[in-house]
Amino acid sequence: MSGLLMAGLRQARIGHTAAITLVLASCLASAAFAATKEYRYTVGPHANISVDTQYGAISVKPGSDNQVVVTATFQSDNVEVDQQQSGNRIEIASHLLRGTDQQTGQVDYELLIPPDATVNLRSSTGPLTAERLHGDLTLEGAEAVVNVRNVENGHVHVRTMRGPITLIDVRNGHVEIASISGDVHLKSVTGPLVLASSGSGRIFYDGDFGSGGDFRFVTHSGDIEVLVPADVSAGFRAHSMLGRVQHDFPLKPRHSQFSEEVGRSFVGNAGQASSEVVLRSFSGRIRLKQR
Amino acid sequence: MTCSDVQRVLPEVFDGGPNGGFASEFDSHVRACPACSDLLSDLKMITSEARQLAATDEPSPRVWLRIAAQLRAEGLIRDPELAPGQPVLVRPSARRRWSAWWLAPVAAALVAAGSYVVSHKPAPQVAQREAPANPGNSAASTKTAVAETSEVIPAPAPVPPPQQVARQFATPTEAVQPLVEPEPNAEDQQFLSVVSTRAPSMRATYENQLKAVNADIRETQAYINRNPEDADAREHLMDAYQQKALLYQIALDRIQ
Repeated sequence: MSGLLMAGLRQARIGHTAAITLVLASCLASAAFAATKEYRYTVGPHANISVDTQYGAISVKPGSDNQVVVTATFQSDNVEVDQQQSGNRIEIASHLLRGTDQQTGQVDYELLIPPDATVNLRSSTGPLTAERLHGDLTLEGAEAVVNVRNVENGHVHVRTMRGPITLIDVRNGHVEIASISGDVHLKSVTGPLVLASSGSGRIFYDGDFGSGGDFRFVTHSGDIEVLVPADVSAGFRAHSMLGRVQHDFPLKPRHSQFSEEVGRSFVGNAGQASSEVVLRSFSGRIRLKQR
Repeated sequence: MTCSDVQRVLPEVFDGGPNGGFASEFDSHVRACPACSDLLSDLKMITSEARQLAATDEPSPRVWLRIAAQLRAEGLIRDPELAPGQPVLVRPSARRRWSAWWLAPVAAALVAAGSYVVSHKPAPQVAQREAPANPGNSAASTKTAVAETSEVIPAPAPVPPPQQVARQFATPTEAVQPLVEPEPNAEDQQFLSVVSTRAPSMRATYENQLKAVNADIRETQAYINRNPEDADAREHLMDAYQQKALLYQIALDRIQ
């Protein structure tokens, strides 16, 4: 009886060990696969660079003035990179083969590019990151987290379905941000035109609105919060159709066709009102606060 | 062999099949690559249809008129805006693989519909009804407003506070009809169907987002029905339509 028991235990142990070995082996195989490829291109001024991947991160940083260096990291051999250069235009796209899923189809891209290049990045999952550039940027991704930092003199367009969007130190360009439900966080973002809209996401702005810009933040149910310094120079108009509107800022009254409704809207100027700021929500709360 | 190689040799394939030099590479790439496989099957289908078309004579207009009359009589087609005698030829869906090309014009149409709603001023007031005492801070109150606004209550309203004056007036019945169906319409169903086919794992996400965007449109429309003078609300409705167009565009980019 005890012999039978011992044999059973031994068999169970062998089975257990085999299972663990299999799991470990598959983990090691997937970890071991991570392969890297590098692509280099020579370009002139104001190159146009596009990267499109279904799954994976894309990060763009400034490199040399006439070289584009793309490092692609693969998680499997089920995905190829299609890349093409036509003069000053470079197009790179992940190409999923049959049976590829989010894990095996992931390709992470790191790009070093001339700072004046125009960049188009697209990834469903992201994250998408661009920093220290001064060409036009377009970043799109359904779920992608989007981060843009230290960008100036270029237009910045961002679209996501629910990925959160953060822009920090973006100056002197047209900024257009649209998300269905992602939060939008803007810090020190100024320019002649700054538009941000989100359905249920929240919009947070921390900055001084620069000078001579049009700013327009719109949500449906998300809150809008604006934090400004005491010396801000902007004209404000805020309206939430069903939500509350508050400000703790000494605004000077101004002539406007817009009729104020206490608790739902306000209009007024701060300083010389050199920028115009419109805050609008359907049912979200709007707050203007002094820093 | 890469996708661009396949595209380069496709004409040769259609002239008589790939030669022995690259036949196996061509076949193995097409088997592994959904995009090239789809392209190849599309081209084969087009070629085959084109051959059939060449051998077919166009029937006389009288034939089309008879068919159209018969289909109308059976209730299978109904489109009063079409010119008389101009039937719609609908290709059987099974003969053509479904593609997502239609999403682009649908997204554009959504924006156009939003523009129309925003720019379409209500006609002069023809009736009065009692405005809700409070515009309501809850979604539930706004969601029932579409039904409420179709009722015309002739009783004189009580004297309102100044902020509610604008809300005291009812809009004409024709102006309060929403331009978008409250429930997912045919385009939305097709949209979700394509997402299910091409990106099944994303179906629930897109469906939830679509529901949310449609609810936003309905809420805003209902608010406008109660507050037709609110220019911000009209602008907001346009933004809500643009959000829906954005959702379609994001899907279009991903599932084509």
